[in-house]
Amino acid sequence: MPFESFFYFLGEAFKSLYRNRWLSIASVGVVAITLLMLGTFMAVNFNINHMAETVKNQVEITVQIDDSAGVEERNQLRQMLVAHNSITEVRFVSREEALNRLKEQLPPGSLDGYENPEDNPLPDSFEIRTSVPEEVIPVAKEIEGYPAVEKVLYGEGTVENLFKTTTALKIIGIVLMVLLAVTAVFLISHTIRLTVLLRRREIMIMKYVGATNSFIRWPFLLEGLFLGLAGAVLPLLVLYYSYGAALQWVDAANLTFLSLIPLSTIMLQLFKYLVPLGTGLGVLGSIFSMGRFLKV
Amino acid sequence: MVETAGLYQRYDNNSDYVLKNINLTINRGEFVFIVGASGAGKSTLLKLMIREIAPTSGTIKVFGQDLKRIPARRIPYLRRNIGIVFQDFRLLEERTAYDNIAFALRVTGTPWWEIRRRVPRVLEMVGLKDKERCRVCDLSGGEQQRVGIARAIVNRPAMIIADEPTGNLDPDTSLEVMNILRDINIQGTTIVVATHDQEIVDRFQKRVIYLEKGRLVSDEKKGAYIRAL
Repeated sequence: MPFESFFYFLGEAFKSLYRNRWLSIASVGVVAITLLMLGTFMAVNFNINHMAETVKNQVEITVQIDDSAGVEERNQLRQMLVAHNSITEVRFVSREEALNRLKEQLPPGSLDGYENPEDNPLPDSFEIRTSVPEEVIPVAKEIEGYPAVEKVLYGEGTVENLFKTTTALKIIGIVLMVLLAVTAVFLISHTIRLTVLLRRREIMIMKYVGATNSFIRWPFLLEGLFLGLAGAVLPLLVLYYSYGAALQWVDAANLTFLSLIPLSTIMLQLFKYLVPLGTGLGVLGSIFSMGRFLKV
Repeated sequence: MVETAGLYQRYDNNSDYVLKNINLTINRGEFVFIVGASGAGKSTLLKLMIREIAPTSGTIKVFGQDLKRIPARRIPYLRRNIGIVFQDFRLLEERTAYDNIAFALRVTGTPWWEIRRRVPRVLEMVGLKDKERCRVCDLSGGEQQRVGIARAIVNRPAMIIADEPTGNLDPDTSLEVMNILRDINIQGTTIVVATHDQEIVDRFQKRVIYLEKGRLVSDEKKGAYIRAL
Protein backbone atom coordinates (compact mmCIF):
# COMPACT_ATOMS: atom_id res chain seq x y z
CA MET A 1 0.00 0.00 0.00
CA PRO A 2 1.54 3.34 -0.97
CA PHE A 3 2.12 5.85 1.80
CA GLU A 4 -0.24 8.38 0.20
CA SER A 5 -3.04 5.84 0.05
CA PHE A 6 -2.59 4.97 3.70
CA PHE A 7 -3.49 8.51 4.68
CA TYR A 8 -6.39 8.44 2.28
CA PHE A 9 -7.68 5.22 3.88
CA LEU A 10 -7.15 6.64 7.34
CA GLY A 11 -9.03 9.80 6.40
CA GLU A 12 -11.83 7.79 4.81
CA ALA A 13 -12.10 5.57 7.87
CA PHE A 14 -12.45 8.56 10.21
CA LYS A 15 -14.82 10.37 7.87
CA SER A 16 -17.05 7.36 7.63
CA LEU A 17 -16.94 6.80 11.39
CA TYR A 18 -18.15 10.38 11.71
CA ARG A 19 -20.70 10.12 8.92
CA ASN A 20 -22.17 7.01 10.51
CA ARG A 21 -21.60 8.35 14.00
CA TRP A 22 -24.72 6.86 15.58
CA LEU A 23 -23.86 3.47 14.25
CA SER A 24 -20.24 3.95 15.35
CA ILE A 25 -21.32 4.94 18.85
CA ALA A 26 -23.68 1.96 19.04
CA SER A 27 -20.94 -0.42 17.87
CA VAL A 28 -18.39 0.97 20.30
CA GLY A 29 -21.06 0.74 23.01
CA VAL A 30 -21.76 -2.93 22.35
CA VAL A 31 -18.07 -3.80 22.15
CA ALA A 32 -17.32 -1.77 25.29
CA ILE A 33 -20.14 -3.24 27.36
CA THR A 34 -19.31 -6.79 26.31
CA LEU A 35 -15.62 -6.33 27.03
CA LEU A 36 -16.43 -4.56 30.31
CA MET A 37 -18.39 -7.61 31.42
CA LEU A 38 -15.59 -9.89 30.33
CA GLY A 39 -12.95 -7.63 31.89
CA THR A 40 -14.79 -7.37 35.20
CA PHE A 41 -15.19 -11.09 35.37
CA MET A 42 -11.54 -11.60 34.47
CA ALA A 43 -10.44 -9.18 37.21
CA VAL A 44 -12.58 -11.02 39.77
CA ASN A 45 -11.40 -14.40 38.54
CA PHE A 46 -7.71 -13.42 38.52
CA ASN A 47 -8.09 -12.20 42.09
CA ILE A 48 -9.84 -15.34 43.28
CA ASN A 49 -7.04 -17.41 41.78
CA HIS A 50 -4.46 -15.08 43.28
CA MET A 51 -6.02 -15.40 46.74
CA ALA A 52 -6.26 -19.17 46.40
CA GLU A 53 -2.58 -19.31 45.42
CA THR A 54 -1.66 -17.08 48.36
CA VAL A 55 -3.52 -19.32 50.79
CA LYS A 56 -2.02 -22.43 49.22
CA ASN A 57 1.46 -21.01 49.50
CA GLN A 58 0.96 -20.53 53.20
CA VAL A 59 0.42 -24.23 53.71
CA GLU A 60 3.45 -25.76 55.51
CA ILE A 61 4.38 -29.01 57.17
CA THR A 62 5.32 -29.27 60.82
CA VAL A 63 7.56 -32.27 61.56
CA GLN A 64 7.45 -32.97 65.29
CA ILE A 65 10.62 -34.56 66.58
CA ASP A 66 10.52 -37.59 68.78
CA ASP A 67 11.58 -36.49 72.32
CA SER A 68 13.69 -39.54 72.73
CA ALA A 69 15.76 -38.87 69.61
CA GLY A 70 19.40 -38.01 70.14
CA VAL A 71 21.42 -35.18 68.58
CA GLU A 72 22.78 -37.43 65.85
CA GLU A 73 19.32 -38.62 64.82
CA ARG A 74 18.03 -35.07 64.80
CA ASN A 75 20.91 -33.94 62.58
CA GLN A 76 20.32 -36.87 60.29
CA LEU A 77 16.62 -35.90 59.98
CA ARG A 78 17.57 -32.31 59.27
CA GLN A 79 20.00 -33.36 56.57
CA MET A 80 17.40 -35.60 54.94
CA LEU A 81 14.88 -32.77 54.91
CA VAL A 82 17.35 -30.25 53.47
CA ALA A 83 18.45 -32.71 50.80
CA HIS A 84 14.86 -33.44 49.70
CA ASN A 85 14.20 -32.13 46.18
CA SER A 86 10.69 -30.81 46.83
CA ILE A 87 11.56 -29.00 50.07
CA THR A 88 12.67 -25.39 49.76
CA GLU A 89 12.77 -24.26 53.37
CA VAL A 90 13.58 -26.02 56.63
CA ARG A 91 13.36 -24.16 59.90
CA PHE A 92 13.98 -25.53 63.39
CA VAL A 93 11.40 -24.47 65.99
CA SER A 94 12.32 -25.21 69.56
CA ARG A 95 9.65 -26.25 72.02
CA GLU A 96 10.09 -22.90 73.84
CA GLU A 97 9.48 -20.94 70.66
CA ALA A 98 6.45 -23.09 69.90
CA LEU A 99 5.01 -22.34 73.32
CA ASN A 100 5.64 -18.60 72.94
CA ARG A 101 3.82 -18.62 69.61
CA LEU A 102 0.90 -20.44 71.13
CA LYS A 103 0.77 -17.84 73.91
CA GLU A 104 0.51 -15.07 71.34
CA GLN A 105 -2.31 -16.78 69.54
CA LEU A 106 -4.42 -17.66 72.59
CA PRO A 107 -6.17 -15.20 74.94
CA PRO A 108 -3.91 -14.00 77.80
CA GLY A 109 -3.85 -16.35 80.78
CA SER A 110 -4.94 -19.43 78.82
CA LEU A 111 -1.57 -21.07 79.27
CA ASP A 112 -1.04 -20.17 82.94
CA GLY A 113 0.69 -23.00 84.74
CA TYR A 114 2.92 -23.94 81.82
CA GLU A 115 5.66 -21.37 82.66
CA ASN A 116 8.05 -24.03 83.84
CA PRO A 117 10.00 -25.46 80.87
CA GLU A 118 9.53 -28.88 82.35
CA ASP A 119 5.76 -28.53 81.96
CA ASN A 120 5.94 -27.56 78.29
CA PRO A 121 4.02 -30.31 76.46
CA LEU A 122 5.14 -29.22 73.02
CA PRO A 123 7.95 -31.03 71.19
CA ASP A 124 10.80 -29.54 69.13
CA SER A 125 9.94 -29.44 65.46
CA PHE A 126 11.00 -28.57 61.91
CA GLU A 127 8.76 -26.33 59.85
CA ILE A 128 9.16 -27.02 56.15
CA ARG A 129 7.82 -25.58 52.93
CA THR A 130 7.60 -27.30 49.60
CA SER A 131 8.41 -25.71 46.25
CA VAL A 132 4.88 -26.40 44.97
CA PRO A 133 1.92 -26.32 47.38
CA GLU A 134 0.45 -29.45 45.77
CA GLU A 135 3.46 -31.47 46.97
CA VAL A 136 2.63 -30.90 50.62
CA ILE A 137 0.59 -34.11 50.92
CA PRO A 138 3.00 -36.60 49.26
CA VAL A 139 6.00 -35.03 51.02
CA ALA A 140 4.26 -35.20 54.40
CA LYS A 141 3.43 -38.87 53.85
CA GLU A 142 7.04 -39.58 52.89
CA ILE A 143 8.48 -37.79 55.93
CA GLU A 144 6.32 -39.87 58.26
CA GLY A 145 8.70 -42.76 57.54
CA TYR A 146 11.87 -40.78 58.42
CA PRO A 147 13.81 -41.54 61.65
CA ALA A 148 13.24 -39.45 64.79
CA VAL A 149 9.85 -38.28 63.54
CA GLU A 150 7.04 -38.43 66.01
CA LYS A 151 4.26 -36.85 64.00
CA VAL A 152 3.83 -34.94 60.75
CA LEU A 153 1.19 -32.19 60.78
CA TYR A 154 -0.05 -30.42 57.64
CA GLY A 155 -3.71 -29.79 58.33
CA GLU A 156 -4.81 -33.13 56.98
CA GLY A 157 -8.29 -32.93 55.46
CA THR A 158 -8.31 -29.12 55.40
CA VAL A 159 -5.45 -28.96 52.88
CA GLU A 160 -7.10 -31.54 50.62
CA ASN A 161 -10.33 -29.52 50.71
CA LEU A 162 -8.46 -26.30 50.04
CA PHE A 163 -6.80 -27.81 46.99
CA LYS A 164 -10.08 -29.23 45.73
CA THR A 165 -11.82 -25.87 46.19
CA THR A 166 -9.11 -23.88 44.44
CA THR A 167 -9.04 -26.32 41.51
CA ALA A 168 -12.84 -26.15 41.22
CA LEU A 169 -12.74 -22.34 41.35
CA LYS A 170 -10.12 -22.30 38.63
CA ILE A 171 -12.14 -24.59 36.34
CA ILE A 172 -15.39 -22.67 36.91
CA GLY A 173 -13.50 -19.44 36.25
CA ILE A 174 -12.02 -20.71 33.00
CA VAL A 175 -15.36 -22.10 31.78
CA LEU A 176 -17.21 -18.86 32.55
CA MET A 177 -14.43 -16.79 31.00
CA VAL A 178 -14.54 -18.85 27.80
CA LEU A 179 -18.34 -18.57 27.68
CA LEU A 180 -18.17 -14.80 28.15
CA ALA A 181 -15.42 -14.53 25.55
CA VAL A 182 -17.52 -16.52 23.06
CA THR A 183 -20.47 -14.21 23.77
CA ALA A 184 -18.17 -11.24 23.22
CA VAL A 185 -16.94 -12.66 19.91
CA PHE A 186 -20.53 -13.26 18.81
CA LEU A 187 -21.82 -9.84 19.85
CA ILE A 188 -18.90 -7.87 18.50
CA SER A 189 -18.67 -9.65 15.17
CA HIS A 190 -22.42 -9.20 14.65
CA THR A 191 -22.23 -5.53 15.46
CA ILE A 192 -19.39 -4.99 13.01
CA ARG A 193 -21.33 -7.05 10.49
CA LEU A 194 -24.25 -4.73 10.93
CA THR A 195 -22.12 -1.66 10.25
CA VAL A 196 -20.92 -3.23 7.02
CA LEU A 197 -24.41 -4.46 6.11
CA LEU A 198 -25.90 -1.00 6.49
CA ARG A 199 -23.31 0.29 4.08
CA ARG A 200 -23.55 -2.38 1.42
CA ARG A 201 -24.88 0.24 -1.00
CA GLU A 202 -21.62 2.14 -0.66
CA ILE A 203 -19.61 -1.02 -1.26
CA MET A 204 -21.74 -1.92 -4.26
CA ILE A 205 -21.26 1.52 -5.83
CA MET A 206 -17.52 1.27 -5.23
CA LYS A 207 -17.53 -2.03 -7.10
CA TYR A 208 -19.48 -0.59 -10.03
CA VAL A 209 -17.20 2.41 -10.46
CA GLY A 210 -14.18 0.12 -10.54
CA ALA A 211 -12.63 0.28 -7.07
CA THR A 212 -10.33 -2.66 -6.38
CA ASN A 213 -11.23 -4.98 -3.51
CA SER A 214 -8.25 -3.91 -1.44
CA PHE A 215 -9.19 -0.27 -1.94
CA ILE A 216 -12.68 -1.01 -0.62
CA ARG A 217 -11.44 -3.21 2.17
CA TRP A 218 -8.84 -0.94 3.79
CA PRO A 219 -11.08 1.84 5.12
CA PHE A 220 -13.55 -0.74 6.48
CA LEU A 221 -10.74 -2.69 8.04
CA LEU A 222 -9.34 0.43 9.71
CA GLU A 223 -12.84 1.34 10.85
CA GLY A 224 -13.27 -2.08 12.41
CA LEU A 225 -9.90 -1.64 14.07
CA PHE A 226 -10.84 1.74 15.55
CA LEU A 227 -14.25 0.54 16.68
CA GLY A 228 -12.65 -2.47 18.36
CA LEU A 229 -9.88 -0.39 19.90
CA ALA A 230 -12.27 2.24 21.26
CA GLY A 231 -14.51 -0.55 22.52
CA ALA A 232 -11.54 -2.07 24.37
CA VAL A 233 -10.03 1.13 25.76
CA LEU A 234 -13.29 2.36 27.31
CA PRO A 235 -13.82 -0.68 29.56
CA LEU A 236 -10.11 -0.59 30.45
CA LEU A 237 -10.55 2.99 31.67
CA VAL A 238 -13.66 2.05 33.63
CA LEU A 239 -11.86 -0.97 35.10
CA TYR A 240 -8.81 1.14 35.94
CA TYR A 241 -10.82 3.58 38.03
CA SER A 242 -13.20 1.05 39.58
CA TYR A 243 -10.43 -1.41 40.45
CA GLY A 244 -8.39 1.43 41.95
CA ALA A 245 -11.42 2.41 44.03
CA ALA A 246 -11.93 -1.21 45.12
CA LEU A 247 -8.29 -1.43 46.24
CA GLN A 248 -8.66 1.78 48.25
CA TRP A 249 -11.85 0.53 49.84
CA VAL A 250 -10.23 -2.78 50.84
CA ASP A 251 -7.33 -0.81 52.28
CA ALA A 252 -9.56 1.58 54.19
CA ALA A 253 -11.73 -1.21 55.57
CA ASN A 254 -8.61 -3.01 56.86
CA LEU A 255 -9.36 -6.07 54.79
CA THR A 256 -5.71 -6.48 53.86
CA PHE A 257 -5.92 -10.24 54.34
CA LEU A 258 -7.79 -10.21 51.00
CA SER A 259 -4.39 -9.78 49.27
CA LEU A 260 -5.65 -8.36 45.95
CA ILE A 261 -3.53 -8.12 42.80
CA PRO A 262 -1.93 -4.64 42.45
CA LEU A 263 -3.55 -2.22 39.98
CA SER A 264 -0.67 -2.10 37.48
CA THR A 265 -0.38 -5.90 37.30
CA ILE A 266 -4.08 -6.49 36.74
CA MET A 267 -4.35 -3.69 34.17
CA LEU A 268 -1.46 -5.17 32.22
CA GLN A 269 -3.19 -8.55 32.25
CA LEU A 270 -6.52 -7.10 31.13
CA PHE A 271 -4.82 -4.96 28.46
CA LYS A 272 -3.14 -8.09 27.12
CA TYR A 273 -6.50 -9.82 26.63
CA LEU A 274 -9.02 -7.05 25.89
CA VAL A 275 -7.11 -4.93 23.36
CA PRO A 276 -6.20 -7.77 20.98
CA LEU A 277 -9.69 -9.23 21.43
CA GLY A 278 -11.42 -5.92 20.63
CA THR A 279 -9.23 -4.88 17.71
CA GLY A 280 -8.89 -8.41 16.36
CA LEU A 281 -12.64 -8.92 16.36
CA GLY A 282 -13.17 -5.51 14.80
CA VAL A 283 -10.81 -6.29 11.94
CA LEU A 284 -11.92 -9.90 11.42
CA GLY A 285 -15.58 -8.93 11.69
CA SER A 286 -15.06 -6.35 8.95
CA ILE A 287 -13.20 -8.73 6.66
CA PHE A 288 -15.73 -11.54 7.00
CA SER A 289 -18.81 -9.36 6.66
CA MET A 290 -17.45 -7.66 3.57
CA GLY A 291 -16.62 -10.85 1.70
CA ARG A 292 -20.15 -11.35 0.42
CA PHE A 293 -20.51 -7.83 -0.94
CA LEU A 294 -17.16 -7.81 -2.66
CA LYS A 295 -18.26 -10.57 -5.02
CA VAL A 296 -20.32 -8.24 -7.26
CA MET B 1 -16.13 -2.73 -28.38
CA VAL B 2 -18.59 -5.51 -27.42
CA GLU B 3 -18.62 -8.81 -29.23
CA THR B 4 -20.63 -11.87 -28.33
CA ALA B 5 -20.68 -15.26 -30.01
CA GLY B 6 -23.05 -18.10 -29.13
CA LEU B 7 -23.69 -16.48 -25.76
CA TYR B 8 -25.91 -18.45 -23.38
CA GLN B 9 -26.75 -17.53 -19.83
CA ARG B 10 -28.66 -19.17 -17.06
CA TYR B 11 -28.54 -18.53 -13.33
CA ASP B 12 -28.41 -22.10 -12.13
CA ASN B 13 -28.19 -25.55 -13.63
CA ASN B 14 -31.89 -26.35 -13.27
CA SER B 15 -33.34 -23.10 -14.59
CA ASP B 16 -34.11 -22.11 -18.19
CA TYR B 17 -31.66 -20.04 -20.20
CA VAL B 18 -32.21 -16.31 -19.76
CA LEU B 19 -30.15 -15.60 -22.88
CA LYS B 20 -29.95 -18.00 -25.81
CA ASN B 21 -27.39 -17.88 -28.59
CA ILE B 22 -26.76 -14.14 -28.65
CA ASN B 23 -24.43 -13.02 -31.45
CA LEU B 24 -23.86 -9.30 -31.73
CA THR B 25 -21.20 -6.68 -32.19
CA ILE B 26 -21.32 -3.13 -30.87
CA ASN B 27 -18.74 -0.81 -32.41
CA ARG B 28 -16.95 2.19 -31.01
CA GLY B 29 -19.07 5.34 -30.98
CA GLU B 30 -22.41 3.57 -31.49
CA PHE B 31 -25.63 4.40 -29.67
CA VAL B 32 -27.58 1.19 -29.10
CA PHE B 33 -30.96 0.56 -27.55
CA ILE B 34 -31.63 -2.91 -26.19
CA VAL B 35 -35.38 -3.36 -26.00
CA GLY B 36 -37.78 -6.10 -25.03
CA ALA B 37 -40.41 -6.98 -22.48
CA SER B 38 -39.56 -7.52 -18.82
CA GLY B 39 -37.67 -10.77 -18.42
CA ALA B 40 -36.46 -10.72 -22.04
CA GLY B 41 -32.85 -10.75 -20.83
CA LYS B 42 -31.91 -7.07 -21.27
CA SER B 43 -30.50 -6.60 -17.79
CA THR B 44 -28.72 -9.95 -17.93
CA LEU B 45 -26.97 -8.90 -21.12
CA LEU B 46 -25.83 -5.67 -19.46
CA LYS B 47 -24.65 -7.57 -16.36
CA LEU B 48 -22.54 -9.75 -18.64
CA MET B 49 -21.00 -6.67 -20.27
CA ILE B 50 -19.79 -5.29 -16.94
CA ARG B 51 -18.79 -8.79 -15.80
CA GLU B 52 -21.16 -8.75 -12.84
CA ILE B 53 -21.85 -12.32 -13.94
CA ALA B 54 -19.79 -14.70 -16.05
CA PRO B 55 -21.35 -16.29 -19.16
CA THR B 56 -22.63 -19.86 -18.88
CA SER B 57 -21.37 -20.67 -22.37
CA GLY B 58 -20.25 -18.87 -25.49
CA THR B 59 -18.03 -15.82 -25.44
CA ILE B 60 -18.41 -12.16 -24.66
CA LYS B 61 -15.56 -9.78 -25.34
CA VAL B 62 -15.49 -6.19 -24.13
CA PHE B 63 -12.62 -3.96 -25.33
CA GLY B 64 -11.16 -7.14 -26.77
CA GLN B 65 -11.00 -8.90 -23.39
CA ASP B 66 -12.67 -12.26 -23.05
CA LEU B 67 -14.87 -11.79 -19.97
CA LYS B 68 -15.11 -15.51 -19.33
CA ARG B 69 -11.37 -15.68 -18.78
CA ILE B 70 -10.67 -12.29 -17.24
CA PRO B 71 -8.96 -12.66 -13.82
CA ALA B 72 -10.99 -11.27 -10.90
CA ARG B 73 -8.33 -8.66 -10.13
CA ARG B 74 -8.66 -7.19 -13.64
CA ILE B 75 -12.43 -6.60 -13.36
CA PRO B 76 -12.16 -3.23 -11.53
CA TYR B 77 -9.93 -1.92 -14.35
CA LEU B 78 -12.44 -3.11 -16.96
CA ARG B 79 -15.20 -1.24 -15.11
CA ARG B 80 -13.21 1.98 -15.00
CA ASN B 81 -13.65 2.04 -18.75
CA ILE B 82 -17.42 1.56 -18.51
CA GLY B 83 -19.76 4.11 -16.95
CA ILE B 84 -22.86 2.52 -15.46
CA VAL B 85 -26.22 4.28 -15.04
CA PHE B 86 -29.01 2.61 -13.07
CA GLN B 87 -32.78 2.93 -13.05
CA ASP B 88 -32.73 3.52 -9.29
CA PHE B 89 -29.73 5.90 -9.58
CA ARG B 90 -27.72 4.11 -6.82
CA LEU B 91 -26.36 7.27 -5.29
CA LEU B 92 -25.19 7.95 -1.75
CA GLU B 93 -28.28 9.91 -0.81
CA GLU B 94 -26.98 11.63 2.30
CA ARG B 95 -24.03 13.10 0.43
CA THR B 96 -23.84 16.02 -1.95
CA ALA B 97 -23.90 15.80 -5.74
CA TYR B 98 -20.23 16.78 -5.71
CA ASP B 99 -19.34 14.05 -3.20
CA ASN B 100 -21.12 11.38 -5.18
CA ILE B 101 -19.13 12.12 -8.29
CA ALA B 102 -15.87 12.68 -6.42
CA PHE B 103 -16.44 9.31 -4.74
CA ALA B 104 -16.12 7.51 -8.10
CA LEU B 105 -12.81 9.27 -8.69
CA ARG B 106 -11.49 8.80 -5.16
CA VAL B 107 -12.05 5.09 -5.04
CA THR B 108 -10.14 4.69 -8.29
CA GLY B 109 -7.17 6.53 -6.82
CA THR B 110 -7.49 9.89 -8.62
CA PRO B 111 -5.46 12.65 -6.89
CA TRP B 112 -7.47 15.40 -5.16
CA TRP B 113 -6.44 18.22 -7.47
CA GLU B 114 -7.67 16.25 -10.45
CA ILE B 115 -10.96 15.55 -8.63
CA ARG B 116 -11.42 19.25 -7.92
CA ARG B 117 -10.87 20.03 -11.59
CA ARG B 118 -13.05 17.31 -13.09
CA VAL B 119 -16.16 17.20 -10.88
CA PRO B 120 -17.41 20.77 -11.60
CA ARG B 121 -16.82 20.16 -15.27
CA VAL B 122 -19.05 17.06 -15.48
CA LEU B 123 -21.68 18.71 -13.30
CA GLU B 124 -21.77 21.52 -15.82
CA MET B 125 -22.10 19.03 -18.64
CA VAL B 126 -25.25 17.55 -17.10
CA GLY B 127 -26.61 21.00 -16.21
CA LEU B 128 -26.22 20.76 -12.43
CA LYS B 129 -23.50 23.32 -11.86
CA ASP B 130 -25.54 25.18 -9.26
CA LYS B 131 -26.53 21.99 -7.41
CA GLU B 132 -22.97 20.98 -6.56
CA ARG B 133 -23.46 21.39 -2.80
CA CYS B 134 -27.01 19.98 -2.64
CA ARG B 135 -27.54 16.68 -0.96
CA VAL B 136 -28.76 14.07 -3.40
CA CYS B 137 -31.88 13.34 -1.34
CA ASP B 138 -32.95 16.97 -1.82
CA LEU B 139 -32.76 16.70 -5.63
CA SER B 140 -35.59 15.71 -7.99
CA GLY B 141 -35.58 12.31 -9.74
CA GLY B 142 -34.34 13.83 -12.99
CA GLU B 143 -31.57 15.69 -11.20
CA GLN B 144 -30.57 12.54 -9.36
CA GLN B 145 -30.30 10.66 -12.63
CA ARG B 146 -28.15 13.46 -14.01
CA VAL B 147 -25.84 13.06 -11.03
CA GLY B 148 -25.78 9.34 -11.89
CA ILE B 149 -24.76 10.15 -15.46
CA ALA B 150 -22.14 12.65 -14.29
CA ARG B 151 -20.69 9.94 -12.06
CA ALA B 152 -20.70 7.50 -14.98
CA ILE B 153 -18.77 9.84 -17.30
CA VAL B 154 -16.34 11.38 -14.82
CA ASN B 155 -13.79 8.59 -15.29
CA ARG B 156 -13.94 9.27 -19.06
CA PRO B 157 -15.10 5.77 -19.95
CA ALA B 158 -15.11 4.48 -23.51
CA MET B 159 -18.63 3.12 -23.04
CA ILE B 160 -21.69 3.91 -20.97
CA ILE B 161 -24.16 1.21 -20.05
CA ALA B 162 -27.54 2.39 -18.81
CA ASP B 163 -30.14 -0.02 -17.44
CA GLU B 164 -33.61 1.59 -17.75
CA PRO B 165 -32.19 5.06 -17.04
CA THR B 166 -35.61 6.68 -17.54
CA GLY B 167 -37.62 3.99 -15.79
CA ASN B 168 -38.33 6.16 -12.75
CA LEU B 169 -38.76 9.48 -14.57
CA ASP B 170 -41.65 11.36 -16.19
CA PRO B 171 -41.60 11.74 -20.02
CA ASP B 172 -40.15 15.28 -20.10
CA THR B 173 -37.39 14.46 -17.66
CA SER B 174 -36.71 11.21 -19.52
CA LEU B 175 -36.14 13.17 -22.68
CA GLU B 176 -33.74 15.53 -20.95
CA VAL B 177 -31.74 12.59 -19.59
CA MET B 178 -31.63 10.91 -22.99
CA ASN B 179 -30.51 14.13 -24.62
CA ILE B 180 -27.56 14.25 -22.22
CA LEU B 181 -26.67 10.68 -23.17
CA ARG B 182 -26.93 11.60 -26.87
CA ASP B 183 -24.60 14.58 -26.34
CA ILE B 184 -22.09 12.32 -24.65
CA ASN B 185 -22.39 9.92 -27.59
CA ILE B 186 -21.71 12.74 -30.05
CA GLN B 187 -18.39 13.29 -28.29
CA GLY B 188 -17.44 9.71 -29.13
CA THR B 189 -18.52 7.61 -26.16
CA THR B 190 -20.32 4.36 -26.97
CA ILE B 191 -23.76 4.21 -25.32
CA VAL B 192 -25.79 1.08 -24.61
CA VAL B 193 -29.27 1.67 -23.15
CA ALA B 194 -31.66 -1.05 -22.05
CA THR B 195 -35.20 0.31 -22.02
CA HIS B 196 -38.82 -0.38 -22.75
CA ASP B 197 -39.64 3.29 -23.21
CA GLN B 198 -41.13 3.15 -26.68
CA GLU B 199 -41.40 6.90 -27.17
CA ILE B 200 -37.72 7.47 -26.47
CA VAL B 201 -36.61 4.69 -28.80
CA ASP B 202 -38.80 5.96 -31.62
CA ARG B 203 -37.70 9.52 -31.23
CA PHE B 204 -33.94 8.88 -31.26
CA GLN B 205 -33.76 6.70 -34.38
CA LYS B 206 -30.69 4.75 -33.26
CA ARG B 207 -29.72 1.13 -33.55
CA VAL B 208 -32.29 -1.10 -31.82
CA ILE B 209 -31.60 -4.64 -30.67
CA TYR B 210 -34.78 -6.49 -29.77
CA LEU B 211 -34.73 -9.40 -27.34
CA GLU B 212 -37.60 -11.79 -26.81
CA LYS B 213 -37.52 -14.56 -24.25
CA GLY B 214 -33.75 -14.50 -24.28
CA ARG B 215 -33.31 -14.56 -28.05
CA LEU B 216 -32.12 -11.76 -30.27
CA VAL B 217 -35.02 -11.42 -32.71
CA SER B 218 -34.14 -8.21 -34.55
CA ASP B 219 -31.24 -5.79 -34.87
CA GLU B 220 -31.89 -2.64 -36.93
CA LYS B 221 -29.49 0.16 -37.71
CA LYS B 222 -31.97 3.03 -37.46
CA GLY B 223 -34.78 1.28 -35.75
CA ALA B 224 -37.90 2.11 -33.90
CA TYR B 225 -39.57 0.15 -31.14
CA ILE B 226 -42.54 -0.67 -33.36
CA ARG B 227 -40.40 -1.92 -36.22
CA ALA B 228 -38.36 -3.97 -33.87
CA LEU B 229 -41.51 -5.78 -32.89
